[in-house]
Amino acid sequence: MSQTDLKTDLTASPPPQTTCSALVVGDHSVSSSVLLLAAVTAASQLGMKVMFFTQTQIQSLPASVQKCAPSLSPECLKKIKFSYPRTVEELLQQIASLHESTNTSPTPPSLIIVDRLESFLCGPGGGSHSGFHPGEQSCAAHLSALLCDTAAFLTQVLEQRSTSSGPCRVIASFQSEVDTRQVSGEPSATDPILDVLDRYFQVRCTLDQDRGYEAAAAGLQQVWHIYLSGRGITGGSCAKDCEDRTGLAQEWQLMIFPNDLMEFKLV
Amino acid sequence: MSSKVENTGVIAERADHGVTHVAVSLCSFQPVQNDLLCNVVMVKKNLKFVFGPCALQALDLVDQRSVTCLSSPSGRKAFQVMGGSGRLYTCFVSCHYCPCPAFAYTVLRRNEGLLCKHILAAYLCQAMGVTQQESVSDQQMSMLLSGTATP
Repeated sequence: MSQTDLKTDLTASPPPQTTCSALVVGDHSVSSSVLLLAAVTAASQLGMKVMFFTQTQIQSLPASVQKCAPSLSPECLKKIKFSYPRTVEELLQQIASLHESTNTSPTPPSLIIVDRLESFLCGPGGGSHSGFHPGEQSCAAHLSALLCDTAAFLTQVLEQRSTSSGPCRVIASFQSEVDTRQVSGEPSATDPILDVLDRYFQVRCTLDQDRGYEAAAAGLQQVWHIYLSGRGITGGSCAKDCEDRTGLAQEWQLMIFPNDLMEFKLV
Repeated sequence: MSSKVENTGVIAERADHGVTHVAVSLCSFQPVQNDLLCNVVMVKKNLKFVFGPCALQALDLVDQRSVTCLSSPSGRKAFQVMGGSGRLYTCFVSCHYCPCPAFAYTVLRRNEGLLCKHILAAYLCQAMGVTQQESVSDQQMSMLLSGTATP
């Protein structure tokens, strides 16, 4: 056997291309609604099966989400499976079991959403950044890596079944207790948990509230700036879903009216 | 030095997650000769340049056949690496994570390393085709991936 033949046979293939993953960073009062809206949109308009993990029981869709999806049918809502793990250990177990046949039949999920990562990662006392525990970084890495690896596996399953729902995507939300915005003359603070999450999530979707007086003057309850950043914006992982990457929107304005209506405006 | 590995090439590819994926291609297994021995030395030097001290430790794990590829009926796979202390570490096939203290401290906390010896050993074993194979049930795989399996 020639050396060339063996070189071809034994060359390691790089790891499977990671799936599209996004981390929504900002106030959880808005990020939770945004994640629910994403789940509802994926289920109703794209026919995707969605796994939605959160600690807080959802009795009904918030008014803001209902107003954005007025024609939502019960059949579409059945495509969303809500799960309420109480601890990070339970969350890890539930995500790790998504490859089992009970979760992939008849169709595997193509969107995995985890709301409020900080409630799972930062312990029952809420933010523990003042007393940072190195184990929290490892836990954040484990959870993030498991989400990405699970999504990569489910993408393969979706492709093998020739479905049009692939790839499997991951969206999670995280509210940092550290103000990472740079104040003039002062170095910006870093959140050690967020630093770890950024290693695994390709795109960061930042929710930044506009606290100017113009919002109130316009009769709006709240105005938020939403912008995308991260290596996934210019990387190739999501490129195959975007025919025209130069036209990929990266900034929006979210207006929340007093009647809870949410309106997105492309900037 | 092992008499098995020779005429290797190291290809560095652009990273995901800020980590460089290294594809190590091997040619045939031949008796060690002077020129081939130089190639082996160069490969080890390249690995050490890219990955630091964990490179040689990873090669030791490779020599000890410490890496097992676990698979379950669903098709899910994971790597299981036997550390120097005899402890088993479960690593993912598509992204970098290891439950070992070195990954938590050197990679995550200090950002001083690209990956730990266990992850590198898994890649090297996979590239060299010396990974052990083992089948587990879907439930066992779930426990291993979640870190709740008894070591």
